[in-house]
Amino acid sequence: MPRVTQLYEYHVKHAKMTEFAGYDMPLWYTTTTDEHLAVRNSCGIFDVSHMGRFEVGGKGATEFLEGMVPTKVRTQPVGRAFYTLFLNGRGGIIDDLIVVKTTESTYTVVVNAANSGTDMKHLVDRAPGGVEIAEVTDSTIMVAVQGPGASESLQPICSADLSQLKRFRSVPTEILGKRSLVSRTGYTGEDGFEIIVYGPTVQNPKDGLEIWERLAGASTPCGLGARDSLRLEAGLPLHGSDIDATTNPFEADLAWVISEGKGEYFGRAAIDTARESGPETIRRGLVLGKGIPRHGFNILDESDSRTGTVTSGTFSPVLRKGIALCRVRREASEVGSPVKVVIRDTIEGGNLAKTPFYDEQTYGWKRAAQH
Amino acid sequence: MDFSGYQIPKELLYTKEHEWARVEGAIIRVGITDYAAKSLNDVVYVTLPKPDERVEQLKAMGSVESIKAVSELYSPLSGTVTAVNSELLMHPELVNKSPYSEGWILELKPERLDTERKVLLDAKGYAAHLASINKDQPTSSQSP
Repeated sequence: MPRVTQLYEYHVKHAKMTEFAGYDMPLWYTTTTDEHLAVRNSCGIFDVSHMGRFEVGGKGATEFLEGMVPTKVRTQPVGRAFYTLFLNGRGGIIDDLIVVKTTESTYTVVVNAANSGTDMKHLVDRAPGGVEIAEVTDSTIMVAVQGPGASESLQPICSADLSQLKRFRSVPTEILGKRSLVSRTGYTGEDGFEIIVYGPTVQNPKDGLEIWERLAGASTPCGLGARDSLRLEAGLPLHGSDIDATTNPFEADLAWVISEGKGEYFGRAAIDTARESGPETIRRGLVLGKGIPRHGFNILDESDSRTGTVTSGTFSPVLRKGIALCRVRREASEVGSPVKVVIRDTIEGGNLAKTPFYDEQTYGWKRAAQH
Repeated sequence: MDFSGYQIPKELLYTKEHEWARVEGAIIRVGITDYAAKSLNDVVYVTLPKPDERVEQLKAMGSVESIKAVSELYSPLSGTVTAVNSELLMHPELVNKSPYSEGWILELKPERLDTERKVLLDAKGYAAHLASINKDQPTSSQSP
């Protein structure tokens, strides 16, 4: 039997359900296109309670995490939420994650649902005595409130002044009187928040459902279909499809997470070697003139030599075109290069493209900052 | 007639792959069923055969895609394509809005209508087929 989140009772009444990472999750409530456009144009909410949530604290927590990720930890200010990676000894990406520095010596770590067991073991196996790691996935809910209208939807039930919360910042607060952690982060490219509310369990989900239903009254509930098309349109990789334990940060086009002048961390030796040799393939965006690129489709150059593979693709509701993330050979990876994609028995033309795929004056969190 | 909210017009013939055929006169109009359209959720792209192309009964002749999924389109009958609904190239959502009229897919001139129509289901048979494939999950369809 698949697991369920605390908000299952709402989803099963209103959504088409699907199994994802061992959880029975909403795929769509109305249509993926409508939910997608609600997030780009106003506000959508997503139940992301399936994602793994760990609290890391105790003596030496900062030094421990410093040694586990390629991003600087000690110098991050309290209240910062930052994106980083867990690496294996070969420099491959075990998972991508968000770390929230909640106090000088405590951290909340949010990881992909499918990897949370692996991540937990990765941490516990290497944690020195004194460091405490607790999983809080089952005793908290997590909801993403995303879109240009996110502040307006969340503010009425949130005690903190959201206008004072900058992007990639986090604040402990109350939502409908319940202890919460609100971060200005997300997986859609839009302005928005990810909230963790402490307390609700599957056995006693009442407080969680009340918050979800209040938010649903002011925004559009969205399923995993829109979550995937939104993150793809924003050019954000999905671990397990676009990046995985065999991809290093240079191949993943995520080298920016590696802080300069950082000391030892797990995977460092392999990262230094990989930086020297450079990636053989690199992650890129791709836009097609016609057709929809899908996972596993081959990419050819103009002389029909194979240069790469589509790692995830969809139809972009904003561009009205097929878009994809792909892995292409470095020498054929220049943005703008013409490419061909083999779609079943036809070949369609397109170009490698910058990400986000949409015009950032019109969509995405940067446009909100202009007002 | 319907099956748990999915329309199944009684004058049409159906494949188990969820295409319909309107058998009236010399030219047969073809589309996908309300059930297929709703299972796809939101049709965003269709790949159609060209006019004059030959198609074979229950062989793939194109595809209908949603944001998440690709669904093959099977011809209900063998014959020659006489027209395709070119509106769908600009407005694929017509397949969802109106699967049995404006969202039609193509028209064909059948070759062996009398023998091949026996392979197709009538509305009652198609409703029973939907009931059998949805035995375990009353509101679900093929996985996305």
